[in-house]
Amino acid sequence: MLTSNFKVQNPKPLISNRAIFCLLLLAAYSLLSLGCRYDMQDQPRYKAFKKNDFFADNKAMRELPEGTVARGYLRENKAFYQGKKENAGSNNATAATAAVAATTTDASGNTVVTSFPDAIEKNPVPVTQELLDRGEQRYKVFCIVCHGPVGSGDGMVVRRGYPKPPTYHDDRLRGAPDGHFFDVITNGWGKMNSYGSQIPAADRWAIVAYIRALQISQNPNGNVQMTQNNAGNAVNQTTPSNSATTQNQNTGGQNR
Amino acid sequence: MAQLFHRGANNVAKASLVIAVLLGGVAFYVYTQVARSSYLTNQFLEKQQPVQFSHKHHTGDDGIDCRYCHTSVETSYSAGIPPTQTCMNCHNQLWADSPYLEPVRASFRDNKPIEWERVHDLPEYAYFNHSIHVAKGVGCSTCHGQIDNMPAVYQESSLQMEWCLSCHRNPEAFIRPQSEIYNQEWDGNDLTVEQRQQLKADYKIRSTQMLTSCSTCHR
Ligand code: HEC
Ligand code: HEC
Ligand code: HEC
Ligand code: HEC
Ligand code: HEC
Ligand code: HEC
Repeated sequence: MLTSNFKVQNPKPLISNRAIFCLLLLAAYSLLSLGCRYDMQDQPRYKAFKKNDFFADNKAMRELPEGTVARGYLRENKAFYQGKKENAGSNNATAATAAVAATTTDASGNTVVTSFPDAIEKNPVPVTQELLDRGEQRYKVFCIVCHGPVGSGDGMVVRRGYPKPPTYHDDRLRGAPDGHFFDVITNGWGKMNSYGSQIPAADRWAIVAYIRALQISQNPNGNVQMTQNNAGNAVNQTTPSNSATTQNQNTGGQNR
Repeated sequence: MAQLFHRGANNVAKASLVIAVLLGGVAFYVYTQVARSSYLTNQFLEKQQPVQFSHKHHTGDDGIDCRYCHTSVETSYSAGIPPTQTCMNCHNQLWADSPYLEPVRASFRDNKPIEWERVHDLPEYAYFNHSIHVAKGVGCSTCHGQIDNMPAVYQESSLQMEWCLSCHRNPEAFIRPQSEIYNQEWDGNDLTVEQRQQLKADYKIRSTQMLTSCSTCHR
């Protein structure tokens, strides 16, 4: 009696050692899967702008070693990529033939460059309505903050204390060749920094075309460089979109 | 031997079944809420940045376009974070002595990048691309909120898969004309249903099946 009673009151433990072992194993495995999740979120590869301690400057995005050119980026077309004439610059022209830029001194005693012998005269990209639209958009992204909506040098940042840039609407800049504007964007000018790394060359030419259109819009009866050799057509052109048509005639209408 | 369980235990047993199911339901609900909570998604969390750069000042007050700094947003998967050089375009002259800008000047002097804290960060098994969204009419503010009102950027959306899908299932409810992409105040209610359908057709947006197929984002 007693013994049999004991047998009933002392059943097998609710959870056997084997089961405990299995449970622990399962828990260990689920920990493992937590680890997996972490790996998939932060994979051992480098996305743009990630930090990489391997390099001294901690940048995962590497820059070109100095003095090298990436395949396909030789940029031999000097007119398109530099806005300079083929024979301009130190590597081609000898000291005797290299043209010298003329300068004058303005009222406040600063030296002002008035001629740009190295710069190419005409935009190498055919000026079309699309180019002007693109130029307008890019001008409003990159230049309007300082040069203002029509280029008179009264942008928002200037109002907050940045040095005032010159207006586009004086004879010096009206007469300046297209290549000069390209050069200013590419390499900077005086206090203005270079925008070459922010704006690709094709967009720079679009901006140049748009600045020409702005100059015409502010001075409808004047003689602006863009239409210099065809000034008769430029008269009465008051809006940028009209000036595009003018330019098309200048380039032989090839973009119609 | 006395009975182990008294009679009422039958009812307790039955009730416990119901309670177990209910508790399970509540636990699941709590789980879904926790998983969506800003605690796990980092939504609305402002981060301490090395420079107190304010989008409110630069874009809201001074009207600088997003693309002035985030130059690659139209051409690449990444919007791009501006290099120190870009800040120096203005701050070489403007506030050139401000102590707030000392980290910027130090970075420029030593040629060491500023180490910004990432605010938006998708897990790397998910693929995201800015250029296609911008090209197909999804504006910055649809996903990032009114950045031009944020002194410090925070994550406006959960960035969870269900958030991506809620738009990919039905993109016409969120798209806008190309001219309004950078307009931070744009209000979606300005367009009629027909205009939206027209926009969707103009942008040639693909079918919902294609946009919600797993391999679109997990590739
Ligand atoms: C951060 C303000 C700022 C921005 C942005 C800016 N500029 Fe300037 N820009 C200046 C200042 C200041 C000058 C005067 C530089 C000097 O003479 O020292 C200047 C001068 C110029 C000049 C006249 C050069 C000369 O011959 O005197 C041109 C042309 C010009 N900028 C074009 C542009 C174009 C195109 C853009 C847009 C891609 C642009 N700028 C963006 C500030 C700016
Ligand atoms: C003057 C340069 C500048 C302009 C203009 C600018 N940003 Fe930024 N943006 C930055 C910098 C620097 C950061 C990194 C620091 C930070 O997160 O605040 C940043 C960060 C961001 C981030 C968060 C990135 C992350 O870490 O996840 C978003 C989103 C963003 N910008 C959107 C915009 C939008 C939208 C606009 C246009 C309304 C804009 N930005 C205009 C400089 C700029
Ligand atoms: C296009 C010009 C421009 C660029 C580019 C620019 N800023 Fe500014 N920044 C300003 C102006 C203008 C102010 C003054 C803001 C105001 O008062 O509305 C300012 C103010 C600031 C201030 C506050 C300074 C103070 O002493 O209160 C900080 C910090 C700052 N900028 C950081 C940056 C950083 C970092 C970058 C690069 C990602 C940058 N800025 C790029 C124009 C610019
Ligand atoms: C469809 C939604 C969406 C739109 C529209 C969008 N973004 Fe983003 N943005 C994101 C997501 C998601 C991330 C996080 C990407 C990651 O972690 O890889 C992000 C990240 C960023 C970053 C951090 C750097 C990077 O590229 O990872 C910046 C800066 C940014 N966005 C700016 C912008 C600007 C400016 C616009 C408007 C032209 C814009 N975004 C439009 C969803 C969007
Ligand atoms: C507000 C709407 C919206 C949101 C939010 C959104 N998307 Fe999109 N997404 C679109 C549209 C519209 C397209 C373009 C579809 C097309 O081209 O047919 C697109 C396209 C894409 C593509 C390109 C597909 C391909 O085949 O090239 C990817 C990848 C993508 N989205 C990922 C994401 C991810 C990841 C998220 C969430 C972080 C997200 N999207 C959030 C609207 C959105
Ligand atoms: C529109 C883009 C998009 C599509 C389509 C998409 N996903 Fe995702 N998925 C995401 C993003 C973004 C995340 C990261 C969410 C997060 O950070 O919590 C994600 C996360 C996940 C996760 C991980 C969840 C976690 O918490 O670990 C799984 C699993 C997943 N997706 C499966 C799928 C499957 C299966 C499909 C097809 C039916 C699919 N996804 C389609 C964007 C997408």
